[in-house]
Amino acid sequence: MLLAALAPLLVVASLRRPVDGLVALEVAGTVATLALVCLSVGLGESLFFTVAIVAAVASWIGGLVFARFLGRWT
Amino acid sequence: MHASDLAVDVLLALGVASELLCVAGVLVMRTTLDRLHYAGAATSVPALLVLAATLVREHMSAAGLQALAAVGLLFLLNPALLLLTARAAWRSDESEER
Repeated sequence: MLLAALAPLLVVASLRRPVDGLVALEVAGTVATLALVCLSVGLGESLFFTVAIVAAVASWIGGLVFARFLGRWT
Repeated sequence: MHASDLAVDVLLALGVASELLCVAGVLVMRTTLDRLHYAGAATSVPALLVLAATLVREHMSAAGLQALAAVGLLFLLNPALLLLTARAAWRSDESEER
């Protein structure tokens, strides 16, 4: 269900204003991180926890870069 | 079914439902700042509920601590991102008004 929530966020990111797309991208990063945590608990695979941590940091850095350049270019 | 299994199920269901509510808020709201409100909420209550479900199941094992690190990073880092996004939205609105 969490992964299904990524599809409408992708629609928002592609159809609306760039700032709204950035908000959708940030939420998508959060949803993906939580989905990875749930997957790693469900599958009992501790490697996925590391992937979730990396996803949290990577989506944060990506969002920061997008927000910084979006604020500068508009 | 043990009480801890029931607690995990309830916490996980609440976490996923509240996360979906936040996604729906991002989809439905009109202004960017309203959407940002829901984006901020997505990293607080739902994330903590999922973390609670994980900790009830895994306790403070290595897996539990890694889940704590992932959700803690989301919870602590995201406000800075929201602030920067709000500034970008404000500048974007300002340049559209000119």
